[in-house]
Amino acid sequence: MRSNFAVSAALVAAFALVVGGVVWLTSDRGGTAAAGADAVVRADSHRLGPAGNGEVTLVEFLDFECESCLAAYPVVEQLREDYAGRVTFVARYFPLDGHTNARNAAVAVEAAAQQGQFEAMYQQMYATQIQWGEQQTSRADLFREFAVQLGLDMAAYDAAVADPATLDRVLADRDDGLELGVQGTPTFFLNGEQLTVGSAEELIAAVDAAVRE
Amino acid sequence: MTASALDTQSDCALDATDQAPAVGSDRRFGAGLVVGGALGLLAAFVLAVEKYRLLTDAGYVPTCSINPVLSCGSVMGSPQADAFGFPNPLLGLVGFTTVLVVGAILAGGVRLPSWFWAGLQAGVTVGVVFVHWLIEASLYRIGALCPYCLVVWVVVISVFTAVTARNLSAVAHRLPAPATAAVKVLARRQSVVVTGWLLVIAALITVRFWTYWRTLLG
Repeated sequence: MRSNFAVSAALVAAFALVVGGVVWLTSDRGGTAAAGADAVVRADSHRLGPAGNGEVTLVEFLDFECESCLAAYPVVEQLREDYAGRVTFVARYFPLDGHTNARNAAVAVEAAAQQGQFEAMYQQMYATQIQWGEQQTSRADLFREFAVQLGLDMAAYDAAVADPATLDRVLADRDDGLELGVQGTPTFFLNGEQLTVGSAEELIAAVDAAVRE
Repeated sequence: MTASALDTQSDCALDATDQAPAVGSDRRFGAGLVVGGALGLLAAFVLAVEKYRLLTDAGYVPTCSINPVLSCGSVMGSPQADAFGFPNPLLGLVGFTTVLVVGAILAGGVRLPSWFWAGLQAGVTVGVVFVHWLIEASLYRIGALCPYCLVVWVVVISVFTAVTARNLSAVAHRLPAPATAAVKVLARRQSVVVTGWLLVIAALITVRFWTYWRTLLG
């Protein structure tokens, strides 16, 4: 029946129009290129340890539930030790939708960060990823236990986790990453330039070269 | 073997649905089932083979693991992929073969008794419920899509709609007048119903993986 085809085609067209419209409305028209440089490190981005001398900055977009990020974690820790004072290390949230607890973990870390314990919670997440990763139920309770272990003010922690602004802060990092073209985790930016490194050795070599420049 | 000879036979069956669609329309319907059954069977067969490779070689990357969202590996490795304790594609192999064979029989002009249609209706209903359970799992528990599974979803929804519309038409004369009218609309607008249904799922997929689609657009 020809009219069936017409109605179906109209439905598909309407759907495409709505999706296209939302994409158009939510896209950052014209501003993307200009925003690029600032988006790599924001004033409120979390530094790991003391800042370096300002000459070299390594930014990592990470997901606490991502196995490759866990694999990169000891490498970054080693770099932090080797280049302390010469490189500023920045960690930025990039929770992936496919990981059930990626957002919960990032929110927990952000809640701890509000009490000055970003780094301790960040390390705790990777130290325990094997316990809680790749699961399909929320592990927010476990993350709360971590907060207890760290001796955080739990009333403030609970309030922060419940506050939508905390998730917004996490997603602000992710949105910067999306704008910068981050497609997966971990993605590193060295002095504002996205690195394409295939191994730990290449990452170390890239950082080392930047420090020697 | 002539159609009229078979017609006489089926007229002897209990409640031979005197208002059932003419044989000609059931033949076209059967041809549709053959196409649907064949597509579904193909998808189930590929999924079964991929599952076998995944089980025999832990490092195997399925042919349809294209990116973080379109990833058969994460879908096929999930607990939902063995919903009843064995790999789901086995159900597909049996189910779609049945659809294909029934379609071929109908395309051949055979008239089937109403209990047979009731059985087919029960089968496709169970199938469509199961598929929606899988859709929910894929979108909200696993967080990935598998292209061959998408083929299965589309085929099952189309076959369910077609079989239901056909069967409702066959019993429409026993229903109250408004229901009869509704059935007529459904039967006439099947493709619109299927399109709308699939668009709802497409919308859910679009929303669920929104950030990912945005990264693709750059």
